[in-house]
Amino acid sequence: MIAYILRRIISVAPIALGVLLVTFLLFRVIGGNPAYRIAGKNATPAKIAQISHARGYDLPYFLNFEKFPQQLFHAQFPRLARNILRGDFGESLTSKMRVSQLLRDGVLPSLCVTTPLFFIELILAVALALLAAYYRDTWIDRSLVVLAVMAMSISSLVYIMVAQYWLASEWRLFPVWGFEGPQYLILPVLIGTVAGTGGTLRFYRTVMLDEMYQDYVRTARAKGVSPAKILFSHVLRNALIPILTNVIVALPFLYTGSLLLESFFGIPGLGRLLVSAISNGDEDVIFAETFIGAVLFVLANTLTDIAYTWADPRIRIK
Amino acid sequence: MSVLRWLTIAVMAATFAGASASGAQLRDNTLYSVGADFKGFDPADSGDTVSAAMISRVYEGLLEYAYLDHPYRAEPRLAEALPEVSADGLTYTFHLKKGVHFSDDLCFPSGKGREVTAEDFVYSFTRILNPKLESTGDWIFINHVAGAKEWVQAGNLTVKIPGFVAVDRYTLQIKLRQPYPQLIWVLTMPYAFVVPHEAIEYYGREFRRHPVGTGPYVLKDWRFNYRVEFVKNPTFSGQTYPATGELDDRAAGLLEDAGKPLPLLDRIVDYEISEFYTVWQMFLGGQLASTGISKDYFEKVINPQFELSDALQKRGVRLYKTPNMDLWYIAFNMKDPTIGDSTDPAVAAKHRKLRQAFASAIDVPTYCTVIHNNRDTPANTILPPGVAGYTTKPYAYQFDRQRAKKLIAEAGYPNGKDATGHPLRLTMISAGAGSTDARQQAEFFAEQLRAIGVDLVVQQLSFAEYLRREHDGEAQIVYAGWIIDYPDGQNFMQLLYGPNKAPGVNFCNYQNPEFDRLYEKVLTMQDCPERSALYAQMSDIAIADCPWALMTYSLSYGLFQPWFQNYKPHAFPYPNAKFYKVKPH
Repeated sequence: MIAYILRRIISVAPIALGVLLVTFLLFRVIGGNPAYRIAGKNATPAKIAQISHARGYDLPYFLNFEKFPQQLFHAQFPRLARNILRGDFGESLTSKMRVSQLLRDGVLPSLCVTTPLFFIELILAVALALLAAYYRDTWIDRSLVVLAVMAMSISSLVYIMVAQYWLASEWRLFPVWGFEGPQYLILPVLIGTVAGTGGTLRFYRTVMLDEMYQDYVRTARAKGVSPAKILFSHVLRNALIPILTNVIVALPFLYTGSLLLESFFGIPGLGRLLVSAISNGDEDVIFAETFIGAVLFVLANTLTDIAYTWADPRIRIK
Repeated sequence: MSVLRWLTIAVMAATFAGASASGAQLRDNTLYSVGADFKGFDPADSGDTVSAAMISRVYEGLLEYAYLDHPYRAEPRLAEALPEVSADGLTYTFHLKKGVHFSDDLCFPSGKGREVTAEDFVYSFTRILNPKLESTGDWIFINHVAGAKEWVQAGNLTVKIPGFVAVDRYTLQIKLRQPYPQLIWVLTMPYAFVVPHEAIEYYGREFRRHPVGTGPYVLKDWRFNYRVEFVKNPTFSGQTYPATGELDDRAAGLLEDAGKPLPLLDRIVDYEISEFYTVWQMFLGGQLASTGISKDYFEKVINPQFELSDALQKRGVRLYKTPNMDLWYIAFNMKDPTIGDSTDPAVAAKHRKLRQAFASAIDVPTYCTVIHNNRDTPANTILPPGVAGYTTKPYAYQFDRQRAKKLIAEAGYPNGKDATGHPLRLTMISAGAGSTDARQQAEFFAEQLRAIGVDLVVQQLSFAEYLRREHDGEAQIVYAGWIIDYPDGQNFMQLLYGPNKAPGVNFCNYQNPEFDRLYEKVLTMQDCPERSALYAQMSDIAIADCPWALMTYSLSYGLFQPWFQNYKPHAFPYPNAKFYKVKPH
């Protein structure tokens, strides 16, 4: 097990660096030298050259053959990768603040939205899936399926716009925008729950129904175990593996935040920071967020594998 | 599970502990407004409109625009009076107001803000020239102030720049390399605002988050990417609301507060809202004092007569249309072998006709209607309305497809086809990769050129890459715009001045000795009718040579709540919040 975990942790670096490489290609290689933007519209060539030199934008992108062999890696991408691996995420091009500071400032607001959203959605989806499975092929089950399909078929943007207009602006039930107190979180969490629960509910329902038709359930029924006990003690336990996969893989999103909800509702979290960074070409923020997102995603996958052994003793990791 | 739940609650409580205290929605004498992408409180980095406005709330300079006066006029702010200018126009002497103090701050030994002196201006002006600072505002001094360029090149920051002299505690002299009448205007810009060295030394990298100025407000709270809150600066010194203005200002109620001490508002809260839909809902809900109008909402808000919709009029909402004093144009690279200038007069004439054909082929009025909801107007001269030298003379290449076809045939491309019988292919770059506006614009231009047989390829680039190609003079054709920095035609004419060729601001590499001669003449002239006539003449020369196809001047449409008072449209509105007021509502 420990060897497996170590192997997976070691695999984080190449995967995260691969993600960083793709981001670098998109924003630096295709996006162009940021020195032109930093220097402003009246910049002289000398100033652009000075900024490029000071920030290393005048180095080769990947390998510096001019300084081979001693300084082969004295190039833009190796420098970026080295800094990020050391935990130095650089400085925002627009605000000139340290990116690590921006990430620290943004994580709590993101968690304020994503944490309740995560738990409410999980509990609701599992509860409704159990209900649908318990009442399978009845009007309750069918209604839940129809509602779930409807909820997942509508874009989150539609929920946001309708809710902001009717619930917040017209009926004044919630604030339209802001991050001033818990009441400001209700609407984004509500929208996130409605938009996200449909798909999860359908998935969990299918998982539950798969279990409901297993031999052990039939045996339990034959032995006179109550339907509720079968559902909660046996079916739920055995349906845990796919649920765990779904849940743990979603954990990195607690950190990265919700791009749409944060942008529309003014939550100063990491999702909004990323949207703003993309629209302003604020590279270092983009590099940092994508790198951390990739690392968390790989770690969450490792955690899922480990959780399998806890959920199902038959599974052994080698 | 319970541990996680409590953790969540703890996280929320910790986060809101700070937010709720500062963010209570008070309906007192407070202006709630909207901005986005505020970068920080450093006058050296005030190149964007949002940062310029925020910085102008806490910092000030020697001069500022007279709020109610049009045409625009500079008046003293921290200076006692307008500068004394030497006979040769090379020395400007400013006498500072006495008793102006920086706001109280921990950076000062006693915590009490000290008096502003001439040395502070020398320090602040020198600071924006420091290459390490990467200020976007160094251009206001670098080529004009005596010794500035040499100082930057030498890189010895301990030496003083000869052009900035603190004659005594309250007298500042700026010595110039050559006459620079635009100095008056650039000194109104936030780049030229005064900062105390103590704040920069005390806060270091964090200086951008801790403004210490002399302005009407002090920063109370700034949450990055969310909100900025200002309260009245208790040490703000002696400025009152103007007592005179334009003829209509009294009737418009703009002189009701004449003589009252500024600022009129106790508090300003700027929200950083990135989605216009949210801004719109908040404006309708009365939570914001004003808003712009996004393209997608324009037809819902403005009726076909370009007036406010009935529904909004009933609510008492007011509409302001403000010319942005900008110019949008298509620049042809005059070094390009296909479309540019040539040493062979016959070739040069043919290429000129090709550029003229291009300009005549674009239906700019339709462009304004279809692409910009008529928020722009077709441009007719190099200078926008409101700038001395602007004339109403019709544009020489108004849309005329038949004329465009004739011109392109005369240029050697009958029906747009080159010698091989293939459509002439031209390439244009524009900024805004991925945006709907840029895509629609590209399709429009390509379609217009297709109608005369030309295959126009429009490359939509990231802003950084666009700037690189523009600066490097690589692009064949560039869709570009220039937003005025100060109300002087020189600000536009520099874009066509020969020595400013790429990588300078004349990235289309236009060269015309007569144009350059006139530019050098007007450069040192004070504003006068003769100078305006010369600007008009320069515009005619450039239009005849056609290095640019003129497109549009843009208009800003703004909506204002009935309780938001004392607003007057201004092309340089950054410090104007101190004049605004809100009525109880």
